[in-house]
Amino acid sequence: MTTGALSRPDALPRPAAAAGAATRLLRLAGDRADVGQQLRATLDRLRRRWSAEDVDDWAEGALALVHANAGGRCLALFCRLTDMSRGAGAAALAADACAAAELARRAGSKAAAAALEAAPAVAARLAPPDRARWWAALSRLARAAPDCVEPLVERSAIVLAAGGAHGFKDFVAAGLKAGGGDRGRLKAFFTLADPAARRLLERSAGEGGFHELERGLVLFGAALWGAPPRLAALEGVGAAPAAQRVSLAGDLIRMPHVYRGVPADAAPGLYRAALAHAMAHRVFGGPRRPAGKLKPLQIALVGLIEDARVEALAMRRFPGLRALWGPWHVARPVAATNAALLMGRLARALFDPDYEDPDGFVAKGRRLFADASGRLEDPTLARAIGGLLGNDIGQMRLRFDPKGYVVEPLYRDDNLGLWDFGDEPDAQAEEIEQAVDAARPRPEEDDDGRVADAPPREEAGRAREVEPDGAGQAIASYPEWDRAAGVERPRWTTVRDAPAASGDRRALAAALEALPGFRQRIARLVRGARVGRTARLKRQPEGFDLDLDAAVEAGVALRVGDIPEERIHRADGRRARDVATVALVDVSESTRDRVGAATVLEIEKLAVAALGAAMDAIGDRFAVRAFASCGRDEVRLTRVKEFSGRMDDAAMARLAGLSSGLSTRLGAALRHAGAELAPLRSHRKLVLALTDGEPSDIDVADPLDLAEDARRAVLALRRTGVDVFGVTLGEGCDARIFGRANTLPVRRIEELPARLSELYFRLARL
Amino acid sequence: MTTDLMPGALSAHAIRDEPYYRAVGDEIEIFAAAYAGRLPVMLKGPTGCGKTRFVEHMAWRLGRPLVTVAAHEDLTAADLAGRFLLAPEGTVWQNGPLTMAVRGGAICYLDEIVEARQDATVVIHPLTDARRALPLEKKGELVPAHPDFQLTISYNPGYQSAVKDLKESTKQRFVAIEFDYPAPAVEAEIVAREADVSGEQARGLIEVGLRSRNLRGQGLAEGASTRMLIHAGKLLRAGAPVDAAIRAAILLPITDEPDLREALGAAIAASLPAGLAA
Repeated sequence: MTTGALSRPDALPRPAAAAGAATRLLRLAGDRADVGQQLRATLDRLRRRWSAEDVDDWAEGALALVHANAGGRCLALFCRLTDMSRGAGAAALAADACAAAELARRAGSKAAAAALEAAPAVAARLAPPDRARWWAALSRLARAAPDCVEPLVERSAIVLAAGGAHGFKDFVAAGLKAGGGDRGRLKAFFTLADPAARRLLERSAGEGGFHELERGLVLFGAALWGAPPRLAALEGVGAAPAAQRVSLAGDLIRMPHVYRGVPADAAPGLYRAALAHAMAHRVFGGPRRPAGKLKPLQIALVGLIEDARVEALAMRRFPGLRALWGPWHVARPVAATNAALLMGRLARALFDPDYEDPDGFVAKGRRLFADASGRLEDPTLARAIGGLLGNDIGQMRLRFDPKGYVVEPLYRDDNLGLWDFGDEPDAQAEEIEQAVDAARPRPEEDDDGRVADAPPREEAGRAREVEPDGAGQAIASYPEWDRAAGVERPRWTTVRDAPAASGDRRALAAALEALPGFRQRIARLVRGARVGRTARLKRQPEGFDLDLDAAVEAGVALRVGDIPEERIHRADGRRARDVATVALVDVSESTRDRVGAATVLEIEKLAVAALGAAMDAIGDRFAVRAFASCGRDEVRLTRVKEFSGRMDDAAMARLAGLSSGLSTRLGAALRHAGAELAPLRSHRKLVLALTDGEPSDIDVADPLDLAEDARRAVLALRRTGVDVFGVTLGEGCDARIFGRANTLPVRRIEELPARLSELYFRLARL
Repeated sequence: MTTDLMPGALSAHAIRDEPYYRAVGDEIEIFAAAYAGRLPVMLKGPTGCGKTRFVEHMAWRLGRPLVTVAAHEDLTAADLAGRFLLAPEGTVWQNGPLTMAVRGGAICYLDEIVEARQDATVVIHPLTDARRALPLEKKGELVPAHPDFQLTISYNPGYQSAVKDLKESTKQRFVAIEFDYPAPAVEAEIVAREADVSGEQARGLIEVGLRSRNLRGQGLAEGASTRMLIHAGKLLRAGAPVDAAIRAAILLPITDEPDLREALGAAIAASLPAGLAA
């Protein structure tokens, strides 16, 4: 049996094994007032169907419930489950009971009872191995967040519908990860009140969701209409799944996270069709009109005509849109049992001239629309035709269900944007917009696309408003790799701009001077680094080509009897330095650890001070960021030095003012460093991460998760041409994040120059 | 016309047949006026919008030979002005293309001048003011410009980096004519003529160009140039299917980014009638 592991928990206390489990069960619970009779009846029935051994197996499960103090209700529900799942074997049922007993111990008998109550429905949906996965996921949740078991059990059907038993397991894992240790957040996630949870469910239904396609859609929209459209994902309300139709609010186009049931390879086309339809409204639609006293049916019909009108206009401008929209018109002339079906056919008839439909209503709609083809620009057209058709459909006595009505075909929007219902939807749109803007990653950029070089905000007087806890303003959000699920979670981490404190720069400078020759060696290394762009050099002693001018001069010299100059070649060489560097300084709690005589943070400060001074002296572009985190919503980045600023007293004071605290979310910091380097024009781009090499955070149980995420961030940066090096301080550093060759272990500050020369040596060869 | 009177080296640079050029504004009049005053001209505009063709057309119209130099990052002053070479009997001076034009009274066209080294841009300074002379430093000679000589440069401010900008002292010596992609109807006429395709096909290609130019700054440094559209048209003319021609002449060369290429391809498909996009 696949569920064997659960079926016989050896940890359970067992009385003398002489008596069979069924006998022991009756001895312990057979006389109970609440379930005694039901237990005896169930056992009697089972004895008729099963062998004595099977009955004992089953009773073993029931005993587990008794021993776990699960209560009479659980026993009764177990009997009910047994009666309801006739096909199930004794072992499978016993496994159910043992798992429920485990839940009872961890999360209380109420949670166990809820699970047993949901079990028959789950059993009907899942085969035994999958059922065990469901129980195992609940058991995991019970260990980590006991009060979330009951809410999740109640929503099992929704979660299982989205992704099956595996999806359920992943959902629990993702929820525990997303909630971190925070009970409120966990609760919100597992009651599906958290939009992230709903999004996860929608995404688990299939690939090809909005987030994957967003950039391509913006480009598509920009290419067609000239300006990039503003897009956002639709959030559902409460536990209700998000809508499956586009919704227009203000100039924002909100799209479903996924179109459920649409295969991944059809999704890009569908999203494009939906965007093109929304843009047709935007470009060719009129202003919003008051809904007034129009009935829901009339509103739906006017919307249908308006859809056809703006699409016709859009296809005049872009004829290829017909091929984009066409495949989604699938209505057929079948017997119309309600108004919605007939309206789907009318929608197709107005779109597709080759579609044949015998229905008189459809034909009339077609005729009215064709008659008006000369004045399609008239925005009142839809209202007029819709009004006429509304009367007809009313006389046909077809049922119209306003609550269940959805616009067809799939790519069209809900048409609520057409109407003014008098409930100030503008305010609503604004609210949505603000929420969207806040969530959008937006490194602040000035006019020429560089990340703004505002002075770091140590001067409290000029500071922007900062949240009182010092976490700072959100400046960007980045995805993070989920190792367990094997997917990248979009917009998972939020990077905040944390204010810098001012420290004792003199003490730092003195500590630097106290290291004999250290600063000078670093300066020499930095100066000697071959990080320039290649260029043709003339008058070289050797090379691939003759330097014509030098060769002629040498020839002349030979003829007049002079000693010719030997350097008559041209060669490739490196010219001006052209490198931009970001130093990322880990200031997490663990940098308080001592490495030899100094703490990790002290060594980091000395290294950055020496590097900064050296790069400043020769004019390399160089920025310093310190990072620490407190959960994924709070990755704090402190700007110690900007690319444009100097490594002056103020920067040294900010460097000296760094203090250890919080955790290490290295991946997010690396991605942000990459984003800051991206707009710079430099031949070489370099991220130098100074860390104790062990990413961790309070909301992540397994440190390997963040190490893997950081490794992927390094790889992604490398793909964009940024070299990432890890200067790892302290023992036991993992070379996997940066790659063995790019990991520079430094155990004492005196080792830094040697490691740095390795770095520059590698850089010159790359 | 006057080609017979030209020095031998320049006769190869004479333009005998009229190069097709469709004026989109007053650029022909401005250039002719500048030439009448022998003022140096700067042609500004994106790649592939007809700058080079325009100069060829003007040289033909004015009856002057045209010496074209495509500047590159290794182009030095000596490459423009000339240098001594060794011959059995000793060193001989070899005129560079600029000196040839200065002596012979040609129009010298320096394409993408900002790509050249700094010393190359400075060597043209004396030619572009009242002196109108080219000093040959190595030879110790000052070559006065032929009365018919004129200097034209092209300059695309868009795609060079900030480090590669023309010096202010160079910029201010020139009369500038701005070029951009022509209006759709005019561009269709040009594409139809140059690629020998039907008006309908040309109009379709213009739509393609507009789609890509909308993405300028959204991931594309430049939209598809008129030259690109003509290339696509020539593929069509030779019998290539529309989608293959657009892919080969426009989508593949213009970007290496798959997302961008797919989005642009979809937008192009959406803007072409089904018959043409098939």
